Amino acid sequence: MTDTDTDTPTDTPTDTDIVYAYAVLRRTPEAARAVADLRGVAGEPIRLLEFADGTTDGTPGLAAAVGPVPAADFDEAPLKANLEDLSWLEATARAHHAVVAPLTGRGIALLPLRLVTVYRDEDRVRQALDARRDDFLPLLDRVTGHVELGVKIYAAPDSTPPEQKTDQETGQGTDQRTGQETAHGKRLGIGRAYLAGIRRRKRTAEDSWHAATRSASHITETAGALAADRVAHRPQSGDLAGPVPGPNVSNDAYLVPENSVDDFRTSVLAAAEKFPGVQVEVTGPWAPYSFALPPEPTP
Amino acid sequence: MHSPPPPPPSPEPRAAQRLATDPDTVERDLVKLVLTVVELLRQLMERQAIHRVEGGDLTEDQEERVGLTLMLLHDRMEELCARYDLRLEDLNLDLGPLGTLLPPAS
Repeated sequence: MTDTDTDTPTDTPTDTDIVYAYAVLRRTPEAARAVADLRGVAGEPIRLLEFADGTTDGTPGLAAAVGPVPAADFDEAPLKANLEDLSWLEATARAHHAVVAPLTGRGIALLPLRLVTVYRDEDRVRQALDARRDDFLPLLDRVTGHVELGVKIYAAPDSTPPEQKTDQETGQGTDQRTGQETAHGKRLGIGRAYLAGIRRRKRTAEDSWHAATRSASHITETAGALAADRVAHRPQSGDLAGPVPGPNVSNDAYLVPENSVDDFRTSVLAAAEKFPGVQVEVTGPWAPYSFALPPEPTP
Repeated sequence: MHSPPPPPPSPEPRAAQRLATDPDTVERDLVKLVLTVVELLRQLMERQAIHRVEGGDLTEDQEERVGLTLMLLHDRMEELCARYDLRLEDLNLDLGPLGTLLPPAS
């Protein structure tokens, strides 16, 4: 979320507003009505900015939901400082989300732009987005009638991934060794007994990690069959997302047809019950953040 | 270019953690920091020892000595923590997006 798609002036500093673009959507009367109620990251009113014309066969053209934001916060230099301020970033991300989410909530297909996508003026927005219209059109078609759901799979708290993944990968037969070794280790000295204890704990932790990854792949299969698309994100580490039930094994986003959201949730949670060693969290529905972005035009 | 899914609204916004420099707690904080580093080294040694044992390149006597040393270190760490009213689980550093310096308390 910390991407800075900045296209801010570098030459002449200006105290006029900068244009913040939130999302790309089809230019429909419904969309125009929906954005009229919204306030953006700086409390500014949101409106639609047209940038690509419709086709003759009646397909509506494209527009971006934009709002004017103060240069004092969003010009290149202050923005850079702001982006390092976690609480500013959090507030901005929430406000950004608060523009996008209600539109998705009304069933308006859209492609959320990256956080802090800002342009010097409206002409620049038109230019930049119009250059990518051929990317946006198929992506918009794909997300129409769909929402994004997140599925996070956690292993049990005491699971750890093995240090080297070689023969351990098969994940079988490990239980057997656990008890044996201490049994035939004749007269374990106190030091060796201590080491054996550590090894046993380590093996147990690895076994539960393996069990969790196996369960996760079954659950992923179940979820994938019910979704139009899937994007795997990097599993989360650290506690940025607050307290978690255990190490994050997988962190995926699914593009799910609007009318089967409940079915998706129920099936995934049912699969989670069936397979041992994991806790599953289904989040959403979200705007299709993970399915909205075409590859950046490479310079 | 994958942007992560939107952050689910978390219950309370977390302020960035800083090293506290209150004069009343500075000694304890410093001790905590030092012990955290020592604990990191202890865990690394422990891991290395297990690695060697599993590789089978230690004699039983060596294993015994290594194990005993690690055990004593562990006990001593607990004593030191107790003296400053800390628990081993308290010894950690939040590295933000990188997670924590030490694995979650074992």
